[in-house]
Amino acid sequence: MDPLTWTGSIGTVLNPIFLAVVVLFVFTLITQFLLSFTAPPPSITVNPDGSAMSTGGTLGMMGRVNSYLFLGILAMIGVYMFSGLVTPYGTGGIFGEIGARLLPVWIALIVTFVLSITFKRKLGLYGKLFDSMIGMIGFAIVMFWVFVAVFVAFDLVVTHNPLDQISGMKNKVPGTPMSSAGDEGAYPHYLLGGDNLARDVFSRVMQGSQIVLIIAPAATLFAFMVGITLGLPAGYYGGKFDTVLSFIANLVLAFPVILLFFLLVTPEIRAAGIDFGFYYWRVPTILASILFIFPLVFLVLLWNSRFFTQPSKNILYIGLTVLIGGYLYLALAWDADPFGMISIDQNVLIVFVAVVFVNSPTVFRIVRGLVLDIKTRDYVAAGQTRGEGAWYIMLWEILPNARGPLIVDFCLRIGYTTILIGTLGFFGLGLESESPDWGTTINAGRRLLGIYPHPAIAPALALMTLVLGLNLLADGLREESLKD
Amino acid sequence: MADETYDGPILEIDKLSISFFTRLREIPAVMDFSCTVRPGEAMGLVGESGCGKSTVALGVMQDLGVNGRIVGGSIKFKGQDLGAMTPDELRNIRGSEIAMIYQEPMASLNPAMRIGKQLMEVPMIHFGTSEKEAYNRALEVVTDVKLPDPKRILNSFPHQLSGGQQQRIVIAMALMSKPSLLILDEPTTALDVTVEAAVVELVKDLGKKYGTSMLFISHNLGLVLETCDRICVMYSGETVETGKISDVFDEMQHPYTQALFRSIPLPGADKNARPLIAIPGNFPLPHERPQGCNFGPRCDYFEAGLCDQTQIDMYPVESGDRHETRCLKFKEIDWNAPIDVGKQTEKPAPGDVVLKIDNLKKYYEVAASALFGGANKKVVKANETLSFEARESETLAIVGESGCGKSTFAKVLMGLETATDGQILLNNSEIQDTPIEDRDTKTISNVQMVFQNPFDTLNPSMTVGRQIIRALEIFGIGETEQDRENRMLELLDLVKLPREFAGRMPRQLSGGQKQRVGIARAFAGDAKIVVADEPVSALDVSVQAAVTDLLMEIQRENKTTLLFISHDLSIVRYLSDRVMVMYLGHVVELGTTDQVFQPPYHPYTEALLSAVPIADTSIEKQHIVLEGDIPSAMNPPPGCPFQTRCRWKDQVPGGLCDKEVPPVRILDGNHQVKCHLSDDILARMEPVIKIAAE
Repeated sequence: MDPLTWTGSIGTVLNPIFLAVVVLFVFTLITQFLLSFTAPPPSITVNPDGSAMSTGGTLGMMGRVNSYLFLGILAMIGVYMFSGLVTPYGTGGIFGEIGARLLPVWIALIVTFVLSITFKRKLGLYGKLFDSMIGMIGFAIVMFWVFVAVFVAFDLVVTHNPLDQISGMKNKVPGTPMSSAGDEGAYPHYLLGGDNLARDVFSRVMQGSQIVLIIAPAATLFAFMVGITLGLPAGYYGGKFDTVLSFIANLVLAFPVILLFFLLVTPEIRAAGIDFGFYYWRVPTILASILFIFPLVFLVLLWNSRFFTQPSKNILYIGLTVLIGGYLYLALAWDADPFGMISIDQNVLIVFVAVVFVNSPTVFRIVRGLVLDIKTRDYVAAGQTRGEGAWYIMLWEILPNARGPLIVDFCLRIGYTTILIGTLGFFGLGLESESPDWGTTINAGRRLLGIYPHPAIAPALALMTLVLGLNLLADGLREESLKD
Repeated sequence: MADETYDGPILEIDKLSISFFTRLREIPAVMDFSCTVRPGEAMGLVGESGCGKSTVALGVMQDLGVNGRIVGGSIKFKGQDLGAMTPDELRNIRGSEIAMIYQEPMASLNPAMRIGKQLMEVPMIHFGTSEKEAYNRALEVVTDVKLPDPKRILNSFPHQLSGGQQQRIVIAMALMSKPSLLILDEPTTALDVTVEAAVVELVKDLGKKYGTSMLFISHNLGLVLETCDRICVMYSGETVETGKISDVFDEMQHPYTQALFRSIPLPGADKNARPLIAIPGNFPLPHERPQGCNFGPRCDYFEAGLCDQTQIDMYPVESGDRHETRCLKFKEIDWNAPIDVGKQTEKPAPGDVVLKIDNLKKYYEVAASALFGGANKKVVKANETLSFEARESETLAIVGESGCGKSTFAKVLMGLETATDGQILLNNSEIQDTPIEDRDTKTISNVQMVFQNPFDTLNPSMTVGRQIIRALEIFGIGETEQDRENRMLELLDLVKLPREFAGRMPRQLSGGQKQRVGIARAFAGDAKIVVADEPVSALDVSVQAAVTDLLMEIQRENKTTLLFISHDLSIVRYLSDRVMVMYLGHVVELGTTDQVFQPPYHPYTEALLSAVPIADTSIEKQHIVLEGDIPSAMNPPPGCPFQTRCRWKDQVPGGLCDKEVPPVRILDGNHQVKCHLSDDILARMEPVIKIAAE
């Protein structure tokens, strides 16, 4: 097998054209910018049918040329990425072959977008997202990684086992063919090269998305549960309760986050705990057992406040919540699953708990601020004069109307959490050193960064795009939720 | 700068059309609007919300934002076309030649700058005057707007002034450069009635003094009558009628103007003998306007095949002075035909006493900070010795300006707060010390409330039906889900809303419809007492009448006691049986509607009556302008609460007003007045409102 180049044999034709178009694009962009100081601004005229039209002289024409060039660049990038689907193996180069490996992801993305855009008017805020270009791009990037994580689970995208070390592949550059013939039908190349333990970088990056995309949203969700359950009463009741909680939140926020992490995940702290004689209550369990109770409390309050007038429904919902939630709580927080089916790796647990712990005070403050605003509305007063319980008003009258800012913050916070987990992995805290998650991989690749940058750059790019996508998505959501 | 010798019209708007462009469609906001403002003339622009009156003002300022655009016609200021001016020329004119005053004074002032600096900026920027001259000019204008202690005011920040004072500063700022045209966009809507009256008086005087032309935008016909020479009535983006105030008010030539006047409570209207006539239907959305006459679908004189055909132009009315109307049938309609009196009803006899308030007091303790309370606590006396009774199927109006304690009383009655002292007897059981959590369902469902702001009264993320069903669930009405569903649909019928509305979200409803849902929710548990906190003040005039009538009708059927909280004396006179006037936590006057609206008055009631603008040219009003603002409830004056603003104070011997809170005096027919004035002075009082002999 020959080594793959980045763009393959297609590149020999396409590369010069691509380069020319890019140069032209940059040139027109600069000219347009310079011209905008001197040329008259494009005027807008209104047609008799009511539509407005921009008729710009030189500037308008430049703008049009610019957008065509940009479309051309996009189209060529598309050719690079998708050529691998139709041409024989190797023609599309590394880009082409990566595109081909990601085929199920592309299909899933296209299906999602076609369905969503078709029914966008019926889908509420989610549907409105498809009115905003920024939001759509962000959503596409986030969904790309979500689908990668999903399909990796079905063994679809990865080319090799992310833990397999194949001799002769150590620190090989992207596109290196397999040294030994290996098994029949094994993938013939390391698409993004090999790392210093001769593992396939491409497969590790793809596999790593799974860990990031499970821990980050779940931890953020838990942080929200904690923040909401405490922030609602703090804002609603105010007074001493609020003062004390806000003080504690400020205390947590004032402590340097990285230092706090170091403390939480160092083996000494993890081993510390309270000895009851019959049970040794270790720090991770203490934290987990306190933080994980909040979602349960939240759900029970949610059901009870609404359905206490209909006891049969109430008992059903609360019963289900306590049964399922209680089981998960025992299994996850106390590692005491009575059936021994679910357990969580203690390393993952501590990272999880640490992330929830540092995120919840911020969520608490956001929720508290929103409640302070919304509780002055008349519909809250209407609930009070009707004799509703405080928790009904907080959970069913106030919370749904605070959802806009909370959803936006949720997206942003997943991004921060992703970075936070990456940082933890980079410091070698928490997860095991062989874990393919992006932070750990970047850390592993860091040592030979000067000579072999590719094992670190690939996961760094992955981390960057995911967080960028989440930020764009949050921007789009914010923009759309402010309209109407 | 325009030349000084120009003596033509100050503002000429000719066939102006303004549209806003959205991604979906063009939304025409103003169509074919023409008007002329001559020097020294005040032009009133009247219409309901969404009719395009503010857009006209923004059009004159050439400040329509990114997606607004003038699509036809021209605006000429002193003969120059504003549309053809460059941004630099416009900047020169704005603030110096044309000044604008907005609705919300706090939003028009920069909170981080001293008042003086903000005022001085105007001449310094526009005419390059020196700082010293500018300061003198500022001092002069602040004196002109009748603010006490101008030097101190110039040195203070906006938040240190009251709302009325802030609005005066905004007016002062507009006058700094002696503009030729002043645009006032609902300048008094955010103010209390007595303060409003003072500000309006001021604007009128200053207009005369400086010879400024004015474009006065308002939804309040009474206010326009008091301030303007000419009026332009707008409906759905078009002028429907324009002319001299007297022509339009007395010899209206457009069905909309007529309907508008019939739907506002003028003196003489009565809920039983002469109910208001609401305009049927709803205001059309800008992109759903009908073919032909915009008012057609709601018009009594509509003629299919004529009114719904073509664009209708303005037609001059021969008799009037520049009086025009946009109606094809104005010559055929008999404008003097007697009003078709609506359904007359018997006045129901008030039944037993259901609510008795005795010596109710509510004090708040205000601490300096929540965490480190400290010793310096202040007591706010929100309600001071309230005593009254309310009977079954009676309407008791509680009247007063902001800070008078009417909302606090509502809170105590509802159980959101507990009383400091005194008694509230509801069906002979004491409830003043029972907070709402401890009240039983029956008590709670018996006392319900209708809220003021229609945009706030419903939870935006729950369907209308769900919200009513929730009230039924809480009140324990209906055995099954199905029962409650049926009852909810009946309640929608009761408030005359289509049953499909059950599945709608509140944002799909108009203001009036939301208010109806609020009423349905209040009556879900067959409430015996309904506290209506300004239920119609935020609604448009034409919708107000319909909602008021609905409330009256439900009251008549259910024999409900209605506690109607309002500051609008016109509507109070129209619908209440008895009136209670409150000032700074005290009940200053209590009596039947006739007693309160006829002399003898409490001096505060007298001022309040005089302050309410009435849209009727045949009414003569005594002008009583209260000086100053309402004192803070944190720091009330000693003695009589009203003594700081009372014009009768010098009639009381021995400075009694400064020393003692007056006792409650019972005049003829159980008419209570809290005043030191002697009987013969009270007897000499003249009526504030006189209907001129016809």
